[in-house]
Amino acid sequence: MKFRKDILKIDCKKEEERICGFIRKQQLFMKREGAVVGLSGGIDSAVCAELCVKALGKENVFGLILPERESSPKSKKYSLKHGLKMGIKTEVIDISPVLESIGTYERRDKVIREIFPEYDEQCRLKITLPPDLLSRDAFNFFTLTVDDRRGGIKSVRLKKEMLNGIVAATNTKQRTRMVHLYYYAEKMNYFVCGTTDKSELMQGFFVKYGDGGVDIEPIGHLYKSQVYRLAEYLSVIEEIIQRTPSPDTFSFDVSDEEFYFRMPYDKLDMLLYAWENGVSHGDVCEVMGLDEEQMKRAFMDFAAKHKATEHLRKLPPFL
Amino acid sequence: MTENINHKDASEMEEVLRNFVIENFLPSAGLDAFKNDDSFMEKGIIDSTGILELLEFIEETFSIRVEDKEVIPDNLDSLNKLKSFIKRKTGHAG
Repeated sequence: MKFRKDILKIDCKKEEERICGFIRKQQLFMKREGAVVGLSGGIDSAVCAELCVKALGKENVFGLILPERESSPKSKKYSLKHGLKMGIKTEVIDISPVLESIGTYERRDKVIREIFPEYDEQCRLKITLPPDLLSRDAFNFFTLTVDDRRGGIKSVRLKKEMLNGIVAATNTKQRTRMVHLYYYAEKMNYFVCGTTDKSELMQGFFVKYGDGGVDIEPIGHLYKSQVYRLAEYLSVIEEIIQRTPSPDTFSFDVSDEEFYFRMPYDKLDMLLYAWENGVSHGDVCEVMGLDEEQMKRAFMDFAAKHKATEHLRKLPPFL
Repeated sequence: MTENINHKDASEMEEVLRNFVIENFLPSAGLDAFKNDDSFMEKGIIDSTGILELLEFIEETFSIRVEDKEVIPDNLDSLNKLKSFIKRKTGHAG
């Protein structure tokens, strides 16, 4: 198929039917009576919940909303509103006490105070990669930014040990959510519906045994921009469609682009498609208005992230 | 603690860098050897965690501070580029 600007266009009706067939088939295979979906107030979980409702009926879909003290208040608000719109049962469980008891905040903050001794609970933090990969070349290194909410914002490039300490602590948020999702799924004889899209899966933008710990991935074959088209078709609430995609893991607002992808989703998805399908460099540059250097930089970044996260997409190996 | 070799010559700098790359990155890249001009990224020798290790190593070993704007392939993506970059940072003539 010739590479063109609308290469990722989908027939939403057919896609809905195809995915609903997949969900029903998996439900039968697993002998489950319904689906549990973790609602984050973001586009992916909203679309997955809609698809489960279409496939299984609203009475067989349970929406679990699992905020913690650093989640954006919008996450819970939009999830509840969307759950109401779909007519599904929802429950909100604040996972902050669990995270406190396993030391998520304490362990992470200890690492941060080694860098910024003045860091306290009033401060906001985020982690980002260098911005705008298409405009300027840079290796992937993470920068920690702390805002003291008194007018002072400080940033530092993270060393490996510190990055690992922060990531290890932070990933317990997603893993704690997984534990809750499976508690309800097993109790109700439901399956856990994953909410990771293809752009995220390909680049390893998920936590193993966290948001990656699920029974099915119904949108794992769709790029993020295709998920948006489906969201419009399925009438996901406008607040969620308009919301900037974010990991919602840090107290200081950070988008998926700033945190991991280094370019907006529309460009990312087209380039990921071209990279995966071996589209000629000339066609990519012509259709996307990029020069050879920009395209190569993106492909190099994709290859590096794909390789570095390969183990996340595999079952544990054995002899 | 790694010995500071700021004062030592270019051939020793190359050996130190080469040994660091061989010991820390080559096994996981599935390679036995690499050339001085090989791109670390293209060959899959160094990933995003690897670049942090490399930065820490050269900052400590050569007593330099690498600014964020300097963490770019032009400075760090091969043994030869690394050598040139460190020479510039330490004021070595060659």
